[in-house]
Amino acid sequence: MNMSIKRINAIFQKDFKDFSRNSAVSVTILFPLIMAFIYKNMDTVTLDTYYLLFNMSFAIIATFIQCCLIAEEKEKNTLRGLMLSPASTTEILAGKSLLTFTVTVIALGLTAWIAGYEPTNMFIITAALGLSTLFYIAVGTLLGLLANSVMEASVIVLPVLGIFSFGSFGLAFAEKYPILQALEYLPSSQLIELARKVEEGAALSTVWPQFAVIAIWIAVAIAATIIVYRKRMVD
Amino acid sequence: MTLIFNKAEKQFSDVIVFPAFDLTLTQGQTIAIHCSVNIRQQLMEILTCRSTLSAGDIKVSEKRLSKKMDLLGFLFLEGGMYERLTVGETLRFYHGLFTSGISPQHALELMQLEGRQRVKVMKLNHSEKKRLQMACILLKDPKVFILEEPDQNLDNESKRIYLHALEELQNHGKSILLLTGNLESAVTLGTKVYRLDDKGLQEMDVSEEQEEVQTEEKEVEQVSAQPIRFEKIPTRVNEKIVLFDPPEIDYIESTDGQSLLHIKGEAFPSFFTLTDLEERLLLFGFFRCHRSYIVNLQKVREVITWTKNSYSLVLDDANKTQIPLSKTKMASLKEMLGLK
Repeated sequence: MNMSIKRINAIFQKDFKDFSRNSAVSVTILFPLIMAFIYKNMDTVTLDTYYLLFNMSFAIIATFIQCCLIAEEKEKNTLRGLMLSPASTTEILAGKSLLTFTVTVIALGLTAWIAGYEPTNMFIITAALGLSTLFYIAVGTLLGLLANSVMEASVIVLPVLGIFSFGSFGLAFAEKYPILQALEYLPSSQLIELARKVEEGAALSTVWPQFAVIAIWIAVAIAATIIVYRKRMVD
Repeated sequence: MTLIFNKAEKQFSDVIVFPAFDLTLTQGQTIAIHCSVNIRQQLMEILTCRSTLSAGDIKVSEKRLSKKMDLLGFLFLEGGMYERLTVGETLRFYHGLFTSGISPQHALELMQLEGRQRVKVMKLNHSEKKRLQMACILLKDPKVFILEEPDQNLDNESKRIYLHALEELQNHGKSILLLTGNLESAVTLGTKVYRLDDKGLQEMDVSEEQEEVQTEEKEVEQVSAQPIRFEKIPTRVNEKIVLFDPPEIDYIESTDGQSLLHIKGEAFPSFFTLTDLEERLLLFGFFRCHRSYIVNLQKVREVITWTKNSYSLVLDDANKTQIPLSKTKMASLKEMLGLK
């Protein structure tokens, strides 16, 4: 096996064991599942409800877990040891992102299954959700670099939850306050827009603008992460 | 395979942390640097590339220091561990991370943690955590080990395991650099001891000389024939002179040519050199157990044998102070105790 893959694998396995035993963090994956169960039994579930659940899962699972994984390494003084090991920063982050990605995808799948969401075009929706997950992981990495402890991580993740998960609600007031029109370009709003088009029977060729906007968000998040990383390393 | 400090010096604005010094650590050598907390932290930061030297450089095998140095292994005083993993899982993780030839089993055996394999790190006591930390560094298999206060707050069992492991490493041609503020630890663990302070780096004379011991033994016989004289030991406390009865003294330590009398956990600088004090105190049951130490034998509770060549005396005071006992002095101590 390639050395680099071996190291990523070691970090992934270590983080998986650590994560599964850290109930304070791992319990968050139950939250969207319970919400999905409640919504399903309440009334007729609309497309917006599904995506409220998904967008919430992104913030409290992908972003929060990624942020905690990095912040805890700093808090417990273990990051220094990792940085002095042959593993590069990319490998360390890849191992962690791999775990967050896996956990998020499983949680999303379970949420969709419990809520009973069946998209018309499975391929496009899976791709869109996967791409969105990458964006939220990048945001989580960025916040993880800023937070110094798990405690801070759980606070710092709240604005993400507010802006990205519930931001699309602001569109309802867009007529009164034209500035809120900008919320349309949030990745969460774009995801809902994409899902709506898919339900109307759109093919990949008509939803590419949504994919493009989400891709731009990913690029911006990764660029910000790299800038913050460089700056923090100089300190 | 060497670690070379070349005119390395560090300053903070106007304050000199340590002036330029040269030091060469060759293969299979163990060097201890006795220094203050401040200098120790600075050195660790410089060696891990988190900080830079004001002047001079440090080379490892002709290469400049860099962040990803496979040749160096660091044991930090405040090294963190993954608390929720078990001992076995931790070692397997580092094995995967370092991808070295050392097996986790070997590291486990060397640090004697076999029985704790399935125990979570958070359940280990401090000494066991320190042993696990060392086991993780062993898995990296570096050429040079840099240890920061390795035996601070360790129990005796763990200290013995550490000493044994360091000896083993040395036999395998590894170099070891110890940074410690505890002279006893520096003398017990290191084969060469240096002192680094704002005046520079000085080698401390801890080598053992067979001849001196022999002449000393003759002295013992001569002196013991003389009648007991009145004797108090003067020390300097601020501007005052304080006299102590010899039986009050626990032990005397020599640092930087200055002898320090240790009495009930406090240190008092003395006017005399260690050799003078030794002469004056022989009659009161004091014993020169090391080049840098005189101990009051009345206060010794225990003699610990770490390895074949390394011993310590444990005193009967509140801190259970440990004092190094050199190999050659061990023989004369045994004689004095009537063993052999």
